Amino acid sequence: MQLMSNSSNNLKGSSDRVVTSNLSKTQTQSIPRKMNNKTDLAQLTLWLEQIAKDRNKQAFTEVFKFFAPKITNICSHKFNNPQLAGEVLQETMTNVWRKAHLFHSDKGAPTTWVYSIMRNVSFDILRKIKSKKEDNLSDDIWPLIDSDNSSEEGYDDHLENQHLMAHIDKLPEAQQQVIRGVYFMEMSQEQLSKQLNIPLGTIKSRLRLGLAKLKQHMGADHD
Amino acid sequence: MIKHHPSEELLNEYVEASLPVSMSAAVAMHIEMCGECAAKVATLTDQKAEACFEGIHSKFTEHDDIADVVDFNFDNMINAITVNDAIDEVKSTPKTTINIKGKSVVLPRAISNMPTSSWSNIGKLSRSRIELDEGKVRASLLNIEPGGSVPEHTHKGFELTLLLSGSFKDDMGEYVAGDFIVLDGEHTHQPVSDDGCLCFTVSDDAQHFTQGINKLLNPIAQFLY
Ligand SMILES: [Zn+2]
Repeated sequence: MQLMSNSSNNLKGSSDRVVTSNLSKTQTQSIPRKMNNKTDLAQLTLWLEQIAKDRNKQAFTEVFKFFAPKITNICSHKFNNPQLAGEVLQETMTNVWRKAHLFHSDKGAPTTWVYSIMRNVSFDILRKIKSKKEDNLSDDIWPLIDSDNSSEEGYDDHLENQHLMAHIDKLPEAQQQVIRGVYFMEMSQEQLSKQLNIPLGTIKSRLRLGLAKLKQHMGADHD
Repeated sequence: MIKHHPSEELLNEYVEASLPVSMSAAVAMHIEMCGECAAKVATLTDQKAEACFEGIHSKFTEHDDIADVVDFNFDNMINAITVNDAIDEVKSTPKTTINIKGKSVVLPRAISNMPTSSWSNIGKLSRSRIELDEGKVRASLLNIEPGGSVPEHTHKGFELTLLLSGSFKDDMGEYVAGDFIVLDGEHTHQPVSDDGCLCFTVSDDAQHFTQGINKLLNPIAQFLY
């Protein structure tokens, strides 16, 4: 816990006052923030502003010393994988360095801002590992305050699906209709029979034929 | 007025990013339309941040010291990060507009960069899959033309319908844009949309492939997920 006391020496003055001034006006429900004497939101805000304005490495070092041990701790326990924790730490702090100009103290606490970055970074990295996706969706789903760096890459990994759609398009219309109904409309064969006013037996046989053909086409392409 | 909101639990999981991507996106789109839930999420995020960075981390004290778990060289990392003075510029997000049945709709930001399949149509219904590769959890856009009805589903899993635009109604009342409707498998009502609507749906059960079909589709399903 020693590592976390780095900024405690900088804490002077009333923490209550600091808390009040840092609560954003947009937060109508004011949360009573119990301040730990190791945290000084005003000081963190100041450092972030120095990073943004002057590319001040000393200020960054202070911010780093405050957050890095905590991020390391949180991620090590969450992922149980030191390498991954290191990756999240490096990526989060890189974002802090490169995006400090996007932090505005009147929109929220510096801790909330860094938390959001850490969460988004973790999400994108985990998704990359679990789903092999590099789509970096986090900033769309959890927009950072005033930040907007959505990626324009990653659209073309749908070839397989396009591919399937193309094959479906080649089927006779009657079979297409049934396959689309079951797969894309999520309807049961019974519902489809009612919706299309076609006997259930016909639905079943069209589906069987259509799928067999589809399977054949797809198989041929992938062998 | 929006009457149906995500549960407190869902909002919490959204803040922690512990939901499937499609559900996180649904909550994100809801809070874009619902100030009430947006305020709750802001508060929850502050609380999580406070717990992470302002608490005394009592739960970690029983564990090994950080130094034993990892051996990062913080100084090296600081140097590596600050060696480059460049900043990340703010890029404006290009809006994604979809055209469906003569309507032009700007997608909410949360799903604007997600790849989608082309539309499939049956009667007054059109569906486009959102391709997120989340296994059994599947999301799509569902468009209903005026006078159409939401199809009844066969599966018994979790299902969410987020109304993005337009409206629909059932015997319980009318639903408007922003309504976040979670259905359990027991529900059998069939809402009707008089004026048409566009919904974002998430379901967690692939049972709409009845078993026989599922077997037949298996080799293909690999390409779909
Ligand atoms: Zn709400």
